[in-house]
Amino acid sequence: METNLEYLKTVAATFTEEIAVAKLDTPAKSEEFRIRFLGQRRGVIPKLFKTIPHLPKQDRRSAGLLLNALRKEAQTVLEHAIEQYRVKSTDTCDIDLTLPGRRSQWAGSRHPITLALAKITDIFEHMGFAIAEGPEIEDDWHNFTALNFPADHPARDMQDTLFIEEPGEGRAGAMMRTHTSPVQIRTMMAGDPPFRLIAPGRVFRNEAITYKSYCLFHQVEGLVVDEGVTMADLKHTLTGFARAFFGEEVKMRFRPSFFPFTEPSGEVDIWWDLPDHPDGGRWMEILGSGMVHPNVLDAVGIDSERYTGYAFGMGIERPAMLRYGIDDIRIFYENDVRFLAQF
Amino acid sequence: MKISYNWLSKYVEHELSPEDLAHALTMSGLEVEDILHLGPPLDGVFVGRVVSVRPHPNADRLKLCDVDLGTDELIPVVCGAPNVAADQRVPVATIGAHLAIGEKVLKIKKSKIRGQVSMGMICAEDELGLSDDHSGIMVLSENAVIGEPLSDYLKREGQEVSDTALDIAITPNRADATSHIGVARDVSALQNAPLLRPEVSIPPDGGETTQHIKVEIQCPDLCRRYVAMIVTDVKVGPSPTWLKLRLEAIGLRSINNVVDATNFVMYECGQPLHAFDYDRIAKQRIVVRESVEEEEFTTLDGKNHTLPEGVVLICDGERPVAIGGVMGGENSEVDETTSNVLIEGAWFCPSRTRRSARALGIATDASYRFERGVDTAIQPWATTRVAALIAELGNGSVTPGIVDVHPRTPTVNRLDLRLTRVPKILGIQIPRKDILQILASLGFDPHEAGNTISCTVPTYRPDIHLEIDLIEEIARIYGFDQILKPKSSPLPASVPVARPIDLIRERVHAYLNGHGFREIYTNSLLPDEQALQFSQAVTAADYPPVRTLNAVSRSMATLRPSLLPGMLNVMQHNAHHGQRTLRFYEFGHVFHLSEHEAAFVENYSEYEVLLFGISGPVRPQSWDGSIPLADFFDIKGDVEKLLSLLNLNSLRMEPSVEPTTITAHHITLYANKKWVGTIARLSDEMQAAHDLPDPVFFATFNWTRLALICEEQPPTVYTPVSRYPVVERDIAMVVDSQQPVGPMLNKVRRAGQTLLKNVDIFDIYEGEGIAPGKKSVAFSLRFGANRTLRDKEIDHVVQKIVTTLSAQFEAELRA
Repeated sequence: METNLEYLKTVAATFTEEIAVAKLDTPAKSEEFRIRFLGQRRGVIPKLFKTIPHLPKQDRRSAGLLLNALRKEAQTVLEHAIEQYRVKSTDTCDIDLTLPGRRSQWAGSRHPITLALAKITDIFEHMGFAIAEGPEIEDDWHNFTALNFPADHPARDMQDTLFIEEPGEGRAGAMMRTHTSPVQIRTMMAGDPPFRLIAPGRVFRNEAITYKSYCLFHQVEGLVVDEGVTMADLKHTLTGFARAFFGEEVKMRFRPSFFPFTEPSGEVDIWWDLPDHPDGGRWMEILGSGMVHPNVLDAVGIDSERYTGYAFGMGIERPAMLRYGIDDIRIFYENDVRFLAQF
Repeated sequence: MKISYNWLSKYVEHELSPEDLAHALTMSGLEVEDILHLGPPLDGVFVGRVVSVRPHPNADRLKLCDVDLGTDELIPVVCGAPNVAADQRVPVATIGAHLAIGEKVLKIKKSKIRGQVSMGMICAEDELGLSDDHSGIMVLSENAVIGEPLSDYLKREGQEVSDTALDIAITPNRADATSHIGVARDVSALQNAPLLRPEVSIPPDGGETTQHIKVEIQCPDLCRRYVAMIVTDVKVGPSPTWLKLRLEAIGLRSINNVVDATNFVMYECGQPLHAFDYDRIAKQRIVVRESVEEEEFTTLDGKNHTLPEGVVLICDGERPVAIGGVMGGENSEVDETTSNVLIEGAWFCPSRTRRSARALGIATDASYRFERGVDTAIQPWATTRVAALIAELGNGSVTPGIVDVHPRTPTVNRLDLRLTRVPKILGIQIPRKDILQILASLGFDPHEAGNTISCTVPTYRPDIHLEIDLIEEIARIYGFDQILKPKSSPLPASVPVARPIDLIRERVHAYLNGHGFREIYTNSLLPDEQALQFSQAVTAADYPPVRTLNAVSRSMATLRPSLLPGMLNVMQHNAHHGQRTLRFYEFGHVFHLSEHEAAFVENYSEYEVLLFGISGPVRPQSWDGSIPLADFFDIKGDVEKLLSLLNLNSLRMEPSVEPTTITAHHITLYANKKWVGTIARLSDEMQAAHDLPDPVFFATFNWTRLALICEEQPPTVYTPVSRYPVVERDIAMVVDSQQPVGPMLNKVRRAGQTLLKNVDIFDIYEGEGIAPGKKSVAFSLRFGANRTLRDKEIDHVVQKIVTTLSAQFEAELRA
């Protein structure tokens, strides 16, 4: 390229003038300006810098100083311009910050029974329990026989159990499960020990709807079967659960009871403070449990001499009512938004 | 069942307070639900000495007494009793005391009686609730210490002042614990103290009684034993106070001395007993048989029953006189005119008793015990005991001898307990001597043979069949509190992994909650009409719903075939309470009859459904504009987002504008040609039927099937993200205004091939500038690739899209 210092001076003077009068009042104009003068590939100033090696040695220093000054000039103008409208755009805003925020949607909610169930299953999952489910329509064998209910057990009477009609026949065949315990049977039938699971679900009672009873409610069932499982393990698990659910300080008792499918059987009560009660509170039963009855293991083909196990079951509504101070079970199924919004 | 603390304490020595006893029983399997303090309130009643007695100046029958209560001053008391005399030691109710007299409570105050001050009351026994005696004031012995509380004196004299009733919830297996002796047996085992059973001398079988009554059992399986005794010359009348107090303590009403005696012995030992008026038993015969169809019978409560077949009847020589195990008959009832009593002590079959009692709607103390199974050997003991008591209370005489018919001799069951099995179940080592003591106290007659203990099951424990039953007995008496935490808790054999369906469900919950939906729980049972109406509406299939056989009400007659009716009820409820915005969802099982698809129970199909629905404004009210009502594209948008969240992008959607009874228009979703869901607007008729102000839109899915499809999807493999710029182009096409846009979108996607990354519709326009009957559809196209795209390439693809749309839909590029 043919050049000399004088030529450079002339060109620089022209550019200096151009830079001085540039009106950089929009970001687009600034960007255009940046590309014209400072752009790496096509900018005029970088191009002039590339001519320096072609100058006579004695002129190179002067040329460098000249072009540096020119570049500095362009950068200053550009930075100044950017600074200008940056300040301008934030300064001039006029906003009422006290207006309510814009909500694209309401807050949704989960049903309190789902929340209570989740809390319970979460505790047992931390203790290494898997989750299983079963059908709400059950047959006599899974709901009663395999669970060691004798043929003439009162629970099999029409009064407690909701039977359903057999297709075409109109006679009693299946029933709505009265507890989640048939899931134990289905799980044990489907696999081999060891088992360690909980089964949440809906169960049915043939009862009129009142403030304290509903024709259905929810339960969580638990089952552990393995070699060497004892009642000490059961008590340990239930104590751990009660502390996790009701708090470390919970006062509980484990007392003998009766269920056809466990032996020995026990129930867990927790002490519930009631300021208006003459005794300051009372024991509330929260769950039933026991060692799996050998007849149950035999029914599903598990060697009851080799394997032992424990099972437990608890209602969801009752602890949820205790926890939230609800005195009418029907409110769970009424689903009033003013109720749901509280959870 | 109520147990009297005082009564119980006659059968076992212990030093437990009522509260401690209640706790001990609860912790060994007899849960005490309530503790009731009974007996006269004797607070404020003290022993006083009558110092002087003077006549009342204004009343002939009243006297003025000065009484020494051990304080500094004598107190004046006006007394009307004929037997009051100086120097007597008497109970004095002082000011502030409350006396329960009959039903009334009398509060003692300072008063003036006919002008004379009285500062208390000298009491008769009935006024203190100690007896019915009102003949005069109660005169105490010389042992009474002046000024001491009356209750202290009475206790020292061995008189029961007060009692406590323990209300026990007896589990169905504990037939043995339905009496005071039964409960006392547990206490004796807990306290290691002997059981004190009253001595009864049972007469040898036969004797004079057999000449006066013959017993025949025609159904030996239902009545294994029938014992009869006779007491003659009984004077039926009121019971003595001690007996009344016993019965009142456990909540029974005193009737007469004969009936009270049978109740007393039943609550003592658990054997129900019945007393017949012997002179009303025809032909001196008792026949036990099953009822035949439609027999009529009047029970002693005066109610007439038409009996079903198979009820156990106790008959005399002519007619039924009692329903065995349930209730006696009016025709042979003991009343004031009775002088000779026939006593029945029998064993009736538990299941048959339950069936009869339920069929007749009668629950009695007797049926309660027979249903659980009474002791198979106790009848002679109990019958002898009650015969002697009736004779004593009614001044009668027991006819010598006893009739004891037992066609089925009770079998003796032996059981072996392996000592090694106990820790295997309970997780603790219980000393051998404790095991032996517990089993012996409970009547199992244990004998050691090496590491085995052989036991005999007592006849009062019909619930004990297996070794595990013995282990339970040991555990409950030894105490669950003795079971300690295991020394170590090993990790489970396999680490459980959360089920995919639960993880997916959790994502759906989170999505719906974030989009303003509230979860609801609705009833699984519907009125039959409603179930029928909804059974085919939203499942794209026609299966009959499942009916219940014995529902308590018509509103809960049939299992829900759909979650929709439940949600509509919830929308209606909330709309009535002023809620305009309705956004709900539910997960729940639905049911229908089916010959196929029986995953669990044959003939029934059951699966989980997800339903969500909206009605009313789409967003909360805001200050910068009005809020539109939700429409079909709001619910469709939610479905599309949800499916994209679940990576379910290839479901086939089949639209239909044909109204059904439930829907106005709907889109059916299929996966592999199977129905998985429906998006719909509710029909105007259904909306009106539920009194809802705004249109309702809902989406329902076969969640079981949908979750399974999600589970079966291959795991996500990362696709590298392009580092090159994207290129955007817009095109507008003019088509017939009736042309659906969905198919056009599909064609655009296909024609755009791999370079077209995304297509949106940003405008649909009819009107000025567009020919009548036409509309302009504007597409926004976004292209990209893993390299820099050249304009030429993109022009080529856009041209291909335009050509395809023109060819397929007679579309023209908008000028």
